[in-house]
Amino acid sequence: MAEPIVEMRHITKRFPGIVANDDVSLSVNRGEIFAVLGENGAGKSTLVSMLFGMYEPDEGEIYVRGKLEHINSPRYATQLSIGMVHQEFRLVSNYTVTENIILGLEPEKKLFGLFPYVDIKKANHDIAELSERYKLKINPEDVIENLNVASRQRVEILKMLYREAEILIFDEPTAVLTPQEIESFLQIIEGLRGSGKTIILITHKLNEIKAVADRCAILNRGKLIDILDVPSTSTDEMARLMVGHEVSFTTPKTPAKFGDTVLKAENMSVKNPSGYEAVKSVSFSIHSGEVFAVAGVSGNGQNELADAIAGLVSCSGGRITLNGRDITNASVRDRIEAGAAYIPEDRHNVGLVLDFTLRDNFPLRRYYSDKFSRKGVLNDAAFNEYGRHLQENYDIRSGQGMATITRSMSGGNQQKAIIAREIDMKTPLIIFMQPTRGLDIGAVMNVRKQIIAERDRGAAVLLISLDLDEIMDCADTIAVIYNGSISKIAPAGELTVDDIGLYMMGVGKTA
Amino acid sequence: MRKFLLSCLAIIISLLFGALILWLMGKDPIAAYTNLLQGSGLMHKARYAGRQSMFTDFMSFIDAMTPMIFASLSVAIALKGGFFNIGVSGQMMAAGFVAHMLSLAVPSKILVIVAGIIAGAVLGALMGWLKYKFNVNEVVTSIMFNSIIMYLVTFYINTFYINPVSRQSKSIIDTARLTLSGYRWENLKVDIALAFPLAVAVALLLQWFLERTTYGYEIKAVGLSPKAAQYAGMNVNRISLLTMTISGALGGLAGVAYFCGYLASIQPGTTPSMGFDAIAVSLLGGNNPAGCVLASFLITIISKGSIYMSSRQHIEPEIASLITAFILTFAACSAVLSRKGKK
Ligand SMILES: Nc1ncnc2c1ncn2[C@@H]1O[C@H](COP(=O)(O)OP(=O)(O)OP(=O)(O)O)[C@@H](O)[C@H]1O
Ligand SMILES: [Mg+2]
Repeated sequence: MAEPIVEMRHITKRFPGIVANDDVSLSVNRGEIFAVLGENGAGKSTLVSMLFGMYEPDEGEIYVRGKLEHINSPRYATQLSIGMVHQEFRLVSNYTVTENIILGLEPEKKLFGLFPYVDIKKANHDIAELSERYKLKINPEDVIENLNVASRQRVEILKMLYREAEILIFDEPTAVLTPQEIESFLQIIEGLRGSGKTIILITHKLNEIKAVADRCAILNRGKLIDILDVPSTSTDEMARLMVGHEVSFTTPKTPAKFGDTVLKAENMSVKNPSGYEAVKSVSFSIHSGEVFAVAGVSGNGQNELADAIAGLVSCSGGRITLNGRDITNASVRDRIEAGAAYIPEDRHNVGLVLDFTLRDNFPLRRYYSDKFSRKGVLNDAAFNEYGRHLQENYDIRSGQGMATITRSMSGGNQQKAIIAREIDMKTPLIIFMQPTRGLDIGAVMNVRKQIIAERDRGAAVLLISLDLDEIMDCADTIAVIYNGSISKIAPAGELTVDDIGLYMMGVGKTA
Repeated sequence: MRKFLLSCLAIIISLLFGALILWLMGKDPIAAYTNLLQGSGLMHKARYAGRQSMFTDFMSFIDAMTPMIFASLSVAIALKGGFFNIGVSGQMMAAGFVAHMLSLAVPSKILVIVAGIIAGAVLGALMGWLKYKFNVNEVVTSIMFNSIIMYLVTFYINTFYINPVSRQSKSIIDTARLTLSGYRWENLKVDIALAFPLAVAVALLLQWFLERTTYGYEIKAVGLSPKAAQYAGMNVNRISLLTMTISGALGGLAGVAYFCGYLASIQPGTTPSMGFDAIAVSLLGGNNPAGCVLASFLITIISKGSIYMSSRQHIEPEIASLITAFILTFAACSAVLSRKGKK
């Protein structure tokens, strides 16, 4: 039955300063789930982008259904019924869900049999049906910019399904989904495989690969290391092959030594742009030397909570104090000065100026300080020195070193750059919002180690994550947020994963 | 580097298009293009009138190029900061007019320059303020301001300040004019653009400002990603206002260099097309100050040389505007292309 539907032969792709794919040959069989695993920057996205016509290989050939093809545009890839969901979303933010999905394929009707117009009603209906069928909950008439990341991802998936693609490429589709959503996503793609579709799946989560994939290719620094038969390989083995050495999956941690209160939120409320109260009268405090983790299903106010503490949005009520100082109405800059580091969820639009070089992005939140500028003139030497320091200490890989335009870096390395920058400020408070999203397991373990190290240094850590493993691994105190309210706060040892799960669904309250 | 090559490509394609049109009109494109260079004082003409030479042509070419440098810098810095300033024409006209009026009271070159800067800056700041206070798109305000200023100035000139013979405004007094017109040099009569060194200095200063100062860093960050700028603790509104104020000031400088320098008077009833050409120049120069100077040089060859070309080849000088428009189109395309290359 192993009939190859896609074959890549001796594919090499170079970018300035780096060989992203180095003589990679592999073939994907019709009707299988083919996983691609590799460290951040290993070249996974690049490899699959060539299948989708985003780049053309410098060397090598691609065969689709046995025929040599030069896939030179996504349009052509679509004709070959290849679809792709990108690592970072590509949606028009002021269009509705439906408009985004049908873009380019609008069902036309003729008014009075003459004037063509888009039959948006029918499209809305079709999409509602599609989302029903694949259990991808979405309101077709919602506007993209009002949706959270998880919903946007669902739109991307629907968009591909709407185009009836046969070969479905997913670049880290689960990075932003909640555990429940991942569960159903995996069922969806198994279902798709059942109906004869071929799936290429990039993910950093080994248990997902183990759960659904048939085979798995492992890339390391552009080279194909191996293609594994998933059922007969352990996850430890995969991890070892991928990183090149043994990986430990636990984060070593000594008991916490709480110090003084660093951050205190009292009855804090935040409204989102449409006026809805996203955070409702929340109170908690975080001590020096404490990891305070907030668990919750995506879209329950986590973003607004973090943004409000960092000063990106203002509170509609309540008080925030940092080291005893009232910062409720302080500017972002004042809060940076007062010692609030922040790793935001949206690394593309918020965390980085993508068209700056890596070097210029490092001091993004401190460029004005005496270290980086004197009398309004930037200190080039300090910029360079600092960039070198961070790049070496935090293993951030990029094609042209510090001169790399940040946009061209791999997603994981962009995230590492933000984390490095914020951690390195050595502030009393660090807010981590989904810090390990998109990182490879080696890097994930590293970040968790860093979180603990920051705690041990005496920082107060606010960790907001959708990943319960992460929360169980790092937290000293766990809070569960549901519908904008904190429904439970307890020392980490007192809650099991199941308890948290219940609180996350909003049922814990009565129990 | 890539940008530079794309800009060159834009110019070459546009010139080829221009050549094609000339050829279709039955003219000799090579001769026409040679005329452009001759008219700009970059090649020898066959004959010169008395007290003229290639040098005098070149000096008046520099005179014409000076306001273009300021105007393109105005567009460039606005684009860096995320604004599309198509109001340069209006800023030029307002600044030129204010300078004319002041020079009636106090005839001084310095005053003309200062007045130009202030008039332009005030307009720019007003646009920036409308943008962040009421979220009015700067393109809309630019267009409205262009019209309002043009009609106000036209009305005033036609009523109080007209030279009935030339149907232009009265001329600015020589002591206040930024161009030494008809200056005797040996046996030649040359026009000396006093503001030219200022234009080059401002371009260099701006280059330095954008690349090496915290303000420059902020302007670029706001222009590329306002959300990231806010996250970085920048005051996005204040920086936008600053950007538009600088852009307006440069537009004002362009205005005085044009209406109180290259020309001595203001033509009522129309806004200077230089404000729009400046967009092409800025895009061509990659929105980079040094690039703007280079691009101004090229575009001025076309606009300035076209007068001589039209007299020699009996072609309407509008062909020059056409080529400039081509360049604008291709430069805009290449701006998109160069972004696409980066994913
Ligand atoms: N358009 C580009 N221009 C220059 N370099 C690029 C470009 N795209 C990718 N690269 C480089 O190629 C390498 C591989 O990138 P790629 O995005 O394929 O990695 P990845 O395996 O998907 O990593 P991640 O898990 O972090 O997403 C990286 O070093 C990246 O910097
Ligand atoms: Mg990737």
